[in-house]
Amino acid sequence: MSTVAELKERHIAATETLNSLRERLKERRLQLLDTDVASYARAQGKTPVSFGPTDLVCCRILQGHTGKVYSLDWTPEKNRIVSASQDGRLIVWNALTSQKTHAIKLPCAWVMTCAFSPNGQSVACGGLDSMCSIFNLSTPLDKDSNLPVSRTLSGHKGYVSSCQYVPDNDSHLITGSGDQTCGLWDITTGLRTSVFGGEFQSGHTADVLSVSINGSNTRMFVSGSCDATARLWDTRVASRAVRTFYGHEGDVNSVKFFPDGNRFGTGSDDGTCRLFDIRTGHQLQVYPPHQQNGDNNTPNPNVTSIAFSISGRLLFASYSNGDCFVWDTLLAEVVLNLGTLQNSHEARVSCLGLAADGSALCTGSWDTSLKIWAFGGHRTVI
Amino acid sequence: MDNNNNSPSQGSSFIGKHRLAAIISQQNQQIQIIQEELDQLETLGESSLVCQQLISSVESRKDAMLPVTKGPADGGWDRWFQRANQSSSRNRKHWI
Repeated sequence: MSTVAELKERHIAATETLNSLRERLKERRLQLLDTDVASYARAQGKTPVSFGPTDLVCCRILQGHTGKVYSLDWTPEKNRIVSASQDGRLIVWNALTSQKTHAIKLPCAWVMTCAFSPNGQSVACGGLDSMCSIFNLSTPLDKDSNLPVSRTLSGHKGYVSSCQYVPDNDSHLITGSGDQTCGLWDITTGLRTSVFGGEFQSGHTADVLSVSINGSNTRMFVSGSCDATARLWDTRVASRAVRTFYGHEGDVNSVKFFPDGNRFGTGSDDGTCRLFDIRTGHQLQVYPPHQQNGDNNTPNPNVTSIAFSISGRLLFASYSNGDCFVWDTLLAEVVLNLGTLQNSHEARVSCLGLAADGSALCTGSWDTSLKIWAFGGHRTVI
Repeated sequence: MDNNNNSPSQGSSFIGKHRLAAIISQQNQQIQIIQEELDQLETLGESSLVCQQLISSVESRKDAMLPVTKGPADGGWDRWFQRANQSSSRNRKHWI
């Protein structure tokens, strides 16, 4: 075995090689970016989506939480939402009637994420307890009138920041964690099938904050991290990421697959959203911080959450200063700010999500409420 | 952990060597990954090719949130504005 001195030399040499290779990769990628989406679309004569002042309206206000809302998820069958709050509860809502169907007191109040199962019969949540708890909504209440936990998924060595059921698969879940790894779990056994990343693996080098599964190819998912990268994973290959996406200059707080499954969006503490292509790895577009009052001295607000409309033409992005921009994805222009409309939230929006049929957007806020937004203007169908 | 030379400095560098070797092994794996990606880039097209695919994909899908959208429209899109499901406060009678 080599001496420590020899190993240290090899370590230094490897570090230098890595740094110069990364630089070369960055330069080579930049050379291939001959255009971004907005320049290309403008050259084709595309014009931005135009909303009238009363086109996107708040049509429901869901009140019931007594603390900040941190996470929300819709069911695939259109109208129900589960939300998680600082008040230590999950609430299941029928968004159409505004009624609460379940209010679940959590064993650990410090919840950060929640998800609805594809069949709408279970919800999952995770947080500072480093575990994911599964609740079956039709289980009888216990003697304290609480819904009992039906399964606990433990194994992460840090907080669970994000979780999502694998689409069309009620027994598998993907998690992202403060322990720098993602996990694939089999809910029926409670066991973790795969760990993505971790010590000495080629995974994230800081907390994972967000995950998103590809709706068109459910074996692929993307993760966003405090290491300023997003990584694409194939669930069959846990040992290394398929690709690492560089570009952001701060924590990547939110990742979301694009509807066609070939791209994904990211939102970051650097104040930008970005669009990446999974097959080529190209960064296709940057959605920069939008200084509406022309003030260049205040630091950029963080992007807290993102979602795409069902065609991908609109990118909804919420920011730490209370803005909630609607971006025209193709032209990289802000076409609306939900944060300044009538009935807008009174504090930052922490999470957002589209209904399964794309007909409504739900925003969850630190003001403790959730709001539903839909298009109520005149629609031209071509 | 005992080895043949029992001085403390020998013991701590023994553990250090294994960890260092593991780190170098991981670095070599990362070097390989980046090299593979650089090789892929040699035959990769520019971003403009992808932009066209993106625009086509977006414009071929209908979208309830857009003022102008491909059809056919789904009848359920406007359920958020139908009053039939609202609470029946109008039906509540107040008796004095």
